[in-house]
Amino acid sequence: MDLRYRAAVLGRVLLAALGGYAVAALATGLLALVLPMPRSEAVATATLLSFAVMIAVVVGVFAVRSLGRAALLVGGLALPLGAGLWLVQTLAGTA
Amino acid sequence: MRQGFRQSMAWLHAWSGLVVGWILFAVFVTGTASYYRAEISRWMRPELRTVQADPSQSAERAVAFLKARMPDAAGWYIEFPKPEKPVIGVHWWKSLAGPFHQALLDPETGAPTAARDTKGGDFLYRFHFELSMPPTLGRYLVGACALVLLVALVSGIVTHRRIFADFFTFRRHARSAQRGWLDAHNVAGVLALPFHLMITYTGLVTLAPLYMPWGVQTAYKGDEIRFFTEAGMMPEMPVPVGRPGSLAPIAPIVAAATARIGEAPEGMAIYSPGDARPTVVAIFEEPHGLAHLHPQIAFDGATGAIHGEAGTARAATVTSAVMVGIHEAHFAGPVLRALFFLCGVMGAATVATGLVLWTVARAPKGAQAAGVGLALVQVLNLGTIVGMPAAIAGYFLANRLLPIGLADRAAWEIGSFFGVWGLVAVLGALRPASRRWPEALRLAGALYLAVPVVSALTTGEHLLRDTRFLGFDLAMLALGAGLIVAAHKAGRRHASARDSRRSPGMTGEEALRA
Amino acid sequence: MTPLVVLLNLSLCFAGFGALALSLDRHHRDALGGRVPAGRIVPQRLGGWALILLSLAAAVALEGWNFGPVQWIGALTGAALLVVALLSYRPSWLRPAALAALPLGGLLAPVVWMS
Repeated sequence: MDLRYRAAVLGRVLLAALGGYAVAALATGLLALVLPMPRSEAVATATLLSFAVMIAVVVGVFAVRSLGRAALLVGGLALPLGAGLWLVQTLAGTA
Repeated sequence: MRQGFRQSMAWLHAWSGLVVGWILFAVFVTGTASYYRAEISRWMRPELRTVQADPSQSAERAVAFLKARMPDAAGWYIEFPKPEKPVIGVHWWKSLAGPFHQALLDPETGAPTAARDTKGGDFLYRFHFELSMPPTLGRYLVGACALVLLVALVSGIVTHRRIFADFFTFRRHARSAQRGWLDAHNVAGVLALPFHLMITYTGLVTLAPLYMPWGVQTAYKGDEIRFFTEAGMMPEMPVPVGRPGSLAPIAPIVAAATARIGEAPEGMAIYSPGDARPTVVAIFEEPHGLAHLHPQIAFDGATGAIHGEAGTARAATVTSAVMVGIHEAHFAGPVLRALFFLCGVMGAATVATGLVLWTVARAPKGAQAAGVGLALVQVLNLGTIVGMPAAIAGYFLANRLLPIGLADRAAWEIGSFFGVWGLVAVLGALRPASRRWPEALRLAGALYLAVPVVSALTTGEHLLRDTRFLGFDLAMLALGAGLIVAAHKAGRRHASARDSRRSPGMTGEEALRA
Repeated sequence: MTPLVVLLNLSLCFAGFGALALSLDRHHRDALGGRVPAGRIVPQRLGGWALILLSLAAAVALEGWNFGPVQWIGALTGAALLVVALLSYRPSWLRPAALAALPLGGLLAPVVWMS
């Protein structure tokens, strides 16, 4: 149990908890705006799915081979979702 | 984290399960007990007898009481008497942030009931998702544990190599203790797997507005009320004007609501009762079905005219409401409720066997001493797995033993719950490892067996004379007997382990195989 | 009547799980002695799955798409637990019990249907 191993474990736990929640939250926020259904239905659908999204990310973070890949996975999901959310909100603001 | 998908999932399963296991066990036990929340509440208030009460009259009595108590409240809530709770429940609050006050009124006089002061089954119900902590903190903590449980379930399924081949396998006389615990963990986990997945996910959905508010945040700019109204879960409500005024008589409003739906409401919410434009909302029981969607009608509280009704919910909202409904299982008849109870017990058993398995798998071999971490986990395991059920028995006993007129009686009952819990945990930690399980289990069993006896002695009611609490008494006896049997088994297992260790000329390996 | 439907579900699932358990060598050895005869594995597994699906169909037909599956899930767990308990404590009883559950289900079905 060297320090490196422990740091890697801590890194994944943090990545899974914070990254997983961030991806789920961004996906929920974005889907609630873009799903082609009445506003309340889009919110309900997005919220229902959010927990499945989070679990998938957490399992992914612990399944991939290295901490770097896990970070890539979370970043690769969070960035486009965040960018999409920003874009949709900006467009809605100017429209 | 080891190499390979299955190995990393096994690692994740073992550690995620350990970290949240103790809280999850408490959540499963109190949640399972909450399937019988109404029955528990009724048993804990033996003074109450079923009465015929007219909702309009109950509403008038409740309003008179609330006007005297807090005329300028932010809100009042009136619960009408029903067979399983034959009193008028009243709640009042100055702000949505709390504190929330409540009282139970006698439907015949409108005065606070003479029944003993207790939280009844509501304490166990709220503990299930608030852990007796400040509500928001408790809910976040339980939610985080539920998410980890979901992760543990998924990783557990992946880890379990032979789900079908081992589906029915429970080797009672397994060669090693670890094998036996693993079998028990698998059986309890796999046989009720649909229930475990369902109850965990629906539990998260139940508190989703707290855990995942981001959809409401982006699509409604955080306006939750707007969302609930548009989704058909709440009616449009009048907006208070900020000038003092008076509330229209409540009885005609109850009558109008009853005429509109065809049945009496189960409760009335009154917002800003002291305002010139108060709101009165009649809330009805959920119609026969799975969904947790209560029909609601909002009235202008100044005139008594109908202001609006909750709209019709659409597919996703209904799905969400069905999930909440299935989680609470209000729709379940006695047989299905018993099956759900059984599934809940299996959930608790899955967590408990998993916790024990963690220590058994890491038990020191031979003369090697147990590390501090392992010893700590062992002590916490016993304190939770036996302490929690014992605490509930202690809560029931306190309900019968504490003097009726004691000040803050309900708080003392809850204190007894935590007292017994702490006592079992501390005693368990002080006793030698080989004796602590049988002793603690026997103590918990004795507490459950004592409940019907103490109840008969203090109330004069017993199962031979009055069948009102027959089911409750039998459940206590069954739980007590089950715990005593478990104590017996735990004692035997340790005795045989000791014998095999002592037998001369046998290596550890041989002793394991014997 | 819901309790009867749950009982019908329980008996069908119990018979189905019994057939599945006895198609596995380990449990066949405990319950009846010896390995599963080669020709029996496939029919017994098909029969077992068919009974479990039949119980889902019965639940949905009698209770509708909302209550049916929920009740079925409850019955599924109860029946499986019963099979495991028998295998652990009285393995030789499993086959007679599973065989008895079948006519019980057959008997219940018309009663439930008519009530």
